[in-house]
Formats: sequence, structure tokens, C-alpha cells
Amino acid sequence: MSIQNFFLSLLLFVSFGLLGEFIYEFSDTTKEKRFYNLISEVRCPKCTSGSIASSDAPVSRDLKDRIYQLIREGKSDQEIKSYVSDRFGAFSDYSPPKEGVHALLWFAPSVFLWLLLLIFFMRRRF
Amino acid sequence: MNIARFFLILLPLVVIVFYGKVLFSVADDDLNQFESKPLPEFFLLNLEGNPVDVSNLAGIKLLNVWASWCITCLVEHPYLSELSSKGFDVIGLNYKDSSDKAQNWLNKYGNPYQFSIYDPRGDLAFDLGVTGAPETFLVVNSQVIEHIQGELTKKKWETIFLPRILAAQGDLK
Repeated sequence: MSIQNFFLSLLLFVSFGLLGEFIYEFSDTTKEKRFYNLISEVRCPKCTSGSIASSDAPVSRDLKDRIYQLIREGKSDQEIKSYVSDRFGAFSDYSPPKEGVHALLWFAPSVFLWLLLLIFFMRRRF
Repeated sequence: MNIARFFLILLPLVVIVFYGKVLFSVADDDLNQFESKPLPEFFLLNLEGNPVDVSNLAGIKLLNVWASWCITCLVEHPYLSELSSKGFDVIGLNYKDSSDKAQNWLNKYGNPYQFSIYDPRGDLAFDLGVTGAPETFLVVNSQVIEHIQGELTKKKWETIFLPRILAAQGDLK
């Protein structure tokens, strides 16, 4: 083996080692889909606005590692989301449940639109 | 007819005021306010290598997340020392650090902490919801009731922590 080959193969080992840290391997694709779905729905606590999927902040990496681990342990999406919001607050959930006070956020715009339309047609009749 | 017109104006107004009030109160009270929670269970050593006795966390404590690599921790260090010398109990949570570097840091700059919990992987910090160092939690009888992210300044201390501490002191008496 020449010295060049030696260093080339060394480089390969180094880069594989680095990649290994960021690749999440799953036994089945459903879990993999759930993982990528979940990390796009959890807010990065360190960023102004963005999910942990788009962030490489240390805390986002910790969160991704933990979510990966929880999925492998067989936890449901809801369990994982409440696990995260117990620690990082309700603020961390990018798709809050459509109930209680959150329902207002989801449905108020359409209610408001229908009210305006109603008023518009009522006025025309007068 | 006039009554109908009156309602046409009133109705949207009521809707706007109602939703505006609800949404603003949610933004102010629920989302920005720290969610009080019990101190997470943990099994960690202190920087000296002895298991941390959780009973040492009873009463009113400041739990300060710090690390030797953290520059802002050094910036807030004098103020933290001042609080400590005034008699406030400050406990360190050494975050993602090595104990050698942490020990050197304390020897070099002074140690405002009663003791420091050694959390090299950031396990307890994760359960506390730490997003980075420095961060300071106000713990009253093992209940985490408030936090300050970033540098602990005099202004933040006086507006966020001190009122809660005085109230807690009143309750504990």
C-alpha cells in the first residue's frame, strides 16, 4: 500500500465516522416517516423560528437523538410530543392540538370569514 | 331596521374584541410564562465525585447552568458571586463539560456555588428544558418555578426572580 492510498483510506474512515453521527437508521419505514414528521413539528428552542429538523443547534441535536430513541422504544407520537412539551413548554409544539383555546387559532379565521360574508349578504338585502 | 343595522356594526366589533382579548391573553400568560414543574429526578455526581443528595435542594435555591466553555457564564460570574455573598443559595449545574476543566475554571475565577452537579451529557439539563448555557432556575422546595435564559443581570434578577423569592420567603415562614 502506498502512502497516498493509506491516507486516502484513512480519509474514508474519518468521513464515515462523522456521517454516522447524523444518520438515523430505522428498522421500518413507518417509524422513519414518523421520525421526520415529528422533528418537523417540534420547534427548535434555541432558534427564532424553525423546527429542530432545520436546526443543528446542540439542543436540537439532543432533541432529535431523544426522539429517535423514544420512537425505537415504541412510544406514540402523542407520548413523544408531551415528553417534549413537558420539558420545553407547550410553545415547542408546532401543530398544537385542535381543542380548547388552540381551537380558536385554527377556526377563528374561517368563522370570521363566514360572519363577514353573512353580513355582506344581509346588507345587500336592506 | 335601525336595530338590524346596529347589530351589523356591533357584531363584528364584539367578535374582534373577544378574539383579540383571548389571543392576547394566551400570548402573554400561557406561552411566555414559564411552566412551573417539579425538579426532575436525577442520579448524578457533584464535581467532587460524590452522589448529589437531593435534600440539599430543599428551600429556596438558584440553579445556575454553567460550563467552562461558556463565555456568557464568565460574564455573569461576578454578579452570581455577589448574590452568593449576599446569602442567596446558588447551586451549579455543570453542563456538557469535563470535570477537570470545570474545576480549573472554579479555581481560576472563584466558586459562587454551594456545590455543582456534574452533568457531562446534559441529562438533567435536558429534563429541565435547558436550551444552552447560561440559564438559571429558581427552585423552591424542589419545585422549579421560574427561569432566566442567558445572562443573569441585575435587572432580570430584580424584575423576574426577586419578587418570586420574596413571596416564597413569606410562604415558607
